[in-house]
Order: sequence, then C-alpha cells, then structure tokens
Amino acid sequence: MTTAQLSSQTACTTAPSVAEVEASCRLPVLFLAFSGVKWLAVGAVLALLASIQLYNPTFMEGCPWVTYGRLRPAAVNALTYGFALQAAFGLSLWLIARLGRVTLTNTLGLFIAGMFWNIAVTVGVIGILAGDATGFDLLEFPLYAALPLFASYALVGAWALVTLHRRTERDLYVSLWFVLAALLWFPWILSTAQGLLLGWQVPGVVQAIVAGWFANNLLQIVLTGFALAVLFYFVPKTVKRPLANPGLAQTGFWLLLLIGGWGGLSQLAAVPAWIPAVSGAANVLVLVPVIALLVCLWQTAEGKIAETWKSNATFRFLLVAAILLLGVTLRTAVFGGHFTQFTFFATARTDIVVLGVFGLAALGALHHIVPRLTTGEDEMPSDGLADLAFWASLLGVLAIGIGFTLAGFKQGVVNGSAESKFLESAVTGIASNLKLVTVGYGALALAALAFLANFALALRRCCAACCGGAR
Amino acid sequence: MRHGPIIGAGALFSLACSWAALVMAPQLQLGALAPAPIPNTSDVHPAVRPGLAAQGAEVYRSLGCSQCHTRQVRQEALLFGARLNDIGSNASTINLSLPASGTTNLVNLDLLIALAKARPDLGIKNVTPPPALAGDTNLAPRLAQFTKDLALLKHADDKSAIVRPASGSTVNDLAVKLPAEILVKAGPDAAERVVKLLTDTGAKAELVIYNLGPDIERGWGARRSVARDFVNDSPVLLGSVRIGPDLASIGTRAPEKFAAPWKFATTNTTDELEHRLLVHLYNPRLLAKDSTCPSASYLFDTNKPSIRPAREPLPSVYPRHNAHALVAYLMTQRADVSLPEAPTPAVAKPAAPAGANAPAKP
Repeated sequence: MTTAQLSSQTACTTAPSVAEVEASCRLPVLFLAFSGVKWLAVGAVLALLASIQLYNPTFMEGCPWVTYGRLRPAAVNALTYGFALQAAFGLSLWLIARLGRVTLTNTLGLFIAGMFWNIAVTVGVIGILAGDATGFDLLEFPLYAALPLFASYALVGAWALVTLHRRTERDLYVSLWFVLAALLWFPWILSTAQGLLLGWQVPGVVQAIVAGWFANNLLQIVLTGFALAVLFYFVPKTVKRPLANPGLAQTGFWLLLLIGGWGGLSQLAAVPAWIPAVSGAANVLVLVPVIALLVCLWQTAEGKIAETWKSNATFRFLLVAAILLLGVTLRTAVFGGHFTQFTFFATARTDIVVLGVFGLAALGALHHIVPRLTTGEDEMPSDGLADLAFWASLLGVLAIGIGFTLAGFKQGVVNGSAESKFLESAVTGIASNLKLVTVGYGALALAALAFLANFALALRRCCAACCGGAR
Repeated sequence: MRHGPIIGAGALFSLACSWAALVMAPQLQLGALAPAPIPNTSDVHPAVRPGLAAQGAEVYRSLGCSQCHTRQVRQEALLFGARLNDIGSNASTINLSLPASGTTNLVNLDLLIALAKARPDLGIKNVTPPPALAGDTNLAPRLAQFTKDLALLKHADDKSAIVRPASGSTVNDLAVKLPAEILVKAGPDAAERVVKLLTDTGAKAELVIYNLGPDIERGWGARRSVARDFVNDSPVLLGSVRIGPDLASIGTRAPEKFAAPWKFATTNTTDELEHRLLVHLYNPRLLAKDSTCPSASYLFDTNKPSIRPAREPLPSVYPRHNAHALVAYLMTQRADVSLPEAPTPAVAKPAAPAGANAPAKP
C-alpha cells in the first residue's frame, strides 16, 4: 500500500500537462481517425453497390470482381477492420492518454503500425475482390492480409498497453476497463479463430461454430466495449457531471464480459441442438449487463439530456448510439431465434453494431477529439458539416437497420411456410426494403464525407496557424 | 479498480469460459465425426468429392456463393407411420378364388381385425366367399371364427366409444394396393403399436418416418442437414442468409421443385440437371425471369474450345473449366442419404403382385 501511494505521489509530480498529452496524441490519433473515416466512406460505397445488385442483378454484371458474393464481404470487412477497429484504436489511444494522464509511447511507431494496418486492410479488401476470401463472416481477409493485420495490431496493442502501464493516474476509470478488456480480447479471439480456421483447420461444422463465435465476440465485446468506453468517457464530460453509479457500471462490465461471448451461434442449423440453445439463452441474458450499463449512463445524464442535445454535437451521436445499443440487444434477444434464421435480420445486427452503436459513438467522439488536436478549439470548424454528418449518419443507420430488419421478417415468414412462393415473396418481394438499405449506405457515405471535409478544414486551419505564422 | 492485471485476468477468464463452452466442447463432440457407411453398399456419406467437384468448391468459395445461399436444410418435426408391405399368411389366411381359376385371392382375416384396431376411423365388412365356395369345409370354421372376432371387436369398440362409419371405405379395401400407408404422421408409440399389430398377424409391415417442415416441403432436401454432412468440407460454407434458395440438396432436387419448374425430357437426368445448372450460371434469368442471382457469364467462353468435356448450355457459349467444376460441385450436394442421426423416409418398394387382401366381388 505504501509503495502504491509513494509511486502515485511520485507519479503526480511527473504527470504531464494536458497540452503535452494532446501533443503526443496528435500524429497517431489523427491518422487513425482520418483513415478510419476514409474506410467508412469506401466501405459504405462498396456496400451500396452490393445492395443495388440485390434487386437489380444486371447492375455491374459480368465481372467477377464486383459480383455480390465478393462485393458484400469486401464492404463488411472494410467497414469492420478499416473503419471500426481502426477508429477504435485511435480512440483507445486518446482515452488511455487522457484518462491515464500520460503521453503516448512511441508515437512514430504507432503511426507506422497504423499505416501497415491500412495497407493490410487494403490488401485484404483487394484480395476478397480478387476471389481469395476465406468464406467466414467477418474473417474474410485471406491469410496474406490477415497476418500483417495481426502483426500491426500487435504493435498498436503493445504500445497502447505500455502507455497504460506508464499512466500517472493510477485509478482506472470505467472507460479504461472497457478499453483494456477490448484491446486484450481482440488479439485473443483473432488469433484463436485464425489459428483454428486457417492454420489448424478444425474439421467440419466446428469451423462454422468458431467463425460464429469470433464474429459475435468481435461485435458484442470488442466493438460494443469500445463504444461503451467512449460513452462512459464522453457522456459525463458533455453533461458536465460525474458518473452516477460506478458500482453498477462495474457489475455491468463484468457481466458483459462473462455473458457477451456466449451468443452468436443461435442461428446455426446443422449443429447439435444444444449450441443454438445455449447461444439463444445468452442473447437474452446479455440484456442484463447492457441495461445495467445504460441505466448508469442514464442516471448520469438524467435531466440534462435535452439541453446537452442542443448544445453539444458529440452528445447527439452518443445518445443515438446508446439507444441503438439497447435496440440491437433487444431485437436479438426477442427475435434472434428460429423465426429470423437465414434472413437479413442477422445481417442487420452486424451493420447496426459496426455502424450504429460503435460507428455513431466513434463519430461523436471524433467530433470532440479532432478539433482539440488540430485547431485547439472545442468544436469542429463547420457546424453545418457537423450537423450534416450527424443527420446523414443517423438516417443511414436507421435506413439500413430498418430496411434489413423488415426484409428479414418478410423472409422469415416465407421460410416458415412452404405455401408462399420463395422467389416471389422472399426474393423480389423484399426489393423495396433493400432499396431503403441502399439509401442508408448512401447517407452513411455522405456522413463520412461531411466529416472528412470538416476534418480537412480543421487541418487547414491548424496548418495555417502554424505555418502561416512562420511565413 | 486500479489494477490493470486484474481486469486482464478477469477478461481472460471470461473469454476462456466462452471458448471452452462454444469452441472446445463442440470440437470434442464433433471433431472425430467421420463419414457414415451407407447400408447395403460399400459407399459412405458424405463421399470424398472427386477432383473436379473439389475444384468447384473453391470456385463456390471464391465467387462468394455462400453470401446468398445456405446449405442447411431445417426440419421442424419427425413423425412416424406404419406401412403394410405384404399381407403374409398364417392359419387364418383363406383363398377366395375358385380352385380351378388358377389364381389366388388370399385374405388374411387376422390382418383385417388388426387393421380395424389400427384404424378406428374406418369401418369393417364381413367377408363373404363367392357362392361357389360356400360349401368349402376349409373356409367355414375360419369364417365363423372371423365373425366371432368381429363381435369381439364390436364389443371393444363400444367399450372405448369408437363409432365406425357405416358407409364409405373400409379396412377391407386398405390392402388392395400394396404397399399401403396404414398410419400416416403419428407419434412413435402409435406407429410402433400398429406395426406390431400388423406383423403379429404374419403380415409384413414397417415403420416409416416423415420429415416435416417448409424446407422439406419445398423439396430442398429429404431430411435436415446435420454436422456429418460437412465432415469433408474445408472451408465449411454453411451460409447464413437465404437470398437465394438453399443448395444443400441441389444435386438431387426434383425438377418440379425449382423456381422455374421443368420436366426431364430424357432418362439421362444427371446430364439434364447439369445442363440446366450451366444455363443458370450463364444467365439465371433465362430460366427464372425474376431471379436476382448474378450471372456468372465470365465462366463461359464464346470461342469454341478444342476439347469439349460436355454439352454447351447455349449454341454460342462454351463453359470454361471453372463452370464445369462449379456444376460438378453443386451436383455433389445431396442431403438424401439416410444417417443414423437424421434418417430419410425409406422409398416404398414396388407394389407387391396382385393377390390383394380383398374379398372377391360376389
């Protein structure tokens, strides 16, 4: 105890100033944020093109590189690895540096590792388009992209953990629990899944089980965890109140880790029946930690929601992300069973978690972080573009979520009765819902471009401030 | 919490739990699963894919076919029934044909009683021999016994409040055409009881099963898909969304069960189905106008190849090697083989020769 106190005392004396911390974050965090949102735009456009083919099969026909079976996984993996995880690393570095009151370790190394991550994602996406996809959901990158991806993550993750270890603020705030758990969880599940699927090649349907286990862990623990880290940092900050109920947050955190990893296999058919049963139960049970964590945030923000919504761009994103988190957990718990098996319903879950829960939370956080790291102000340079980014991304996520979910219900009805004609009711009959999805991806691409434009404005103003002075 | 290692250890423990339950346990249960021998043959299911089909599996993966097609047939219920294959004979079997006619018309009287017990919804008629046989001394005691049995049956019916319809079809007509489905879609106990009732009279009867569910009604497979169907696959592409129909049994699908139904024109059904699949790959909308399946026209060539492995889908295009490989792979998709964990209905054997268990017309 005495040594801990001593070390915290000595640490306090050496704690860097906020300006020093932010200066150390500038290069890697801005790079990861910028290239992350760039991938959001690219992924949304790829997904948009893929979704058009669902009701207009002659669109871009005749070229294997852009056939639906390749375009869709390329889009999903670009969004997951290029956008979501990359932005998550940037946000984690920021959170660790700010909450641990410590300058980032090896910023240049982090920047270079980030560049390699982007190269690996690019190679992976091109590999999928060229026909080298592995065929496992959310793990489609071929081995020659997956290995460099893992290696560059190892560097980012290691330096993030070293930074965390060197923190001067010894108490770990709630956000850092989620960041730490997710930063460790991701390489564990990735190496397990890649090892079992591409290395050892477990036999038969165990492959599908491992892939489903990985995808669920990625969505339910890693990306939801990063989103919660952002929520727990920025909600108290934007409403200017301390976190209301840390005890409840702790309970929620541990329960989420314990239960969250058990879902995801509830819709496999060709496996022993106990597997979907266990997963289905976990899908319901995971409501408990999710609701506990959201109640904690609710208690923090209660009474100031309307006021903060108007005054703070970041908070709007966070509020929608929190509502989507509740929504996506509820819909999986209620409808995630037999009825929606083999429909777009599960597709919608991936999209809502990656783009909605995590995506909106990340965009919200970036609307706070980017101006602080560039212009030093609290707001993005253009309010109009910030509004556009918010409303377009909200519309996009809602359109994608609602479109896929309704299509999924229609498919579920057809799957449940041999009376209805499959082609008429489940294929051409859902075209209107899928058109809504196309609109959604378009809106998301627009949101990403609006944010990038705002980002560029901030960068220009920042450069003008530094270099303009020199001139 | 101030100690990172505690969070790390807790996370590792949580992950280890879910890993043990959802990765380790399935591997222990399914890892040693092997192809099952098909009874009365030297084959196993699933069979190792021949070279061309194995290359087709790679084409299937590479083009992302599994993004739109599942290969998992679902089944909602497994019900049972009893099928009568042969009336058999025992002491109570009588011949109602005239000795000089050279034919036989056997009637198993015990079987009629058993059938009546199995089917309380049908009436039962007494058996009247043709007038020429009225004086047959062999028949008289048996018919008398049958009348007694009928009275007993009536008594039992009254006791259990069974009212048999006075008109309409009777159990006497059930066995006119064999094999006859005596009990359809019932529970396992009821079906076993009926099979025992029937076999006790010397008849040959068997338990039959009914795989039920929309997928099976659609003709997408004869039974549900099980883990064993995929032991030879790597990667295992089960698919998770049905943007197109399920392909678990496309190689054995009946022509009328396709989106655009058709009929086999010749007896070479394999060849015709292959041709049909090639046309589908070239342009799905040539077969089903509303299909949203993308065309794989890049698997075809407009130049005539020097070696032509099979017939071309259309007069002007020629499938490349990958098209043939993909079709060969699709043709290996079959979920019609009975497995211990997922039986398929036994195919009814051809009808037994005449000699129906029906009394001759008086």
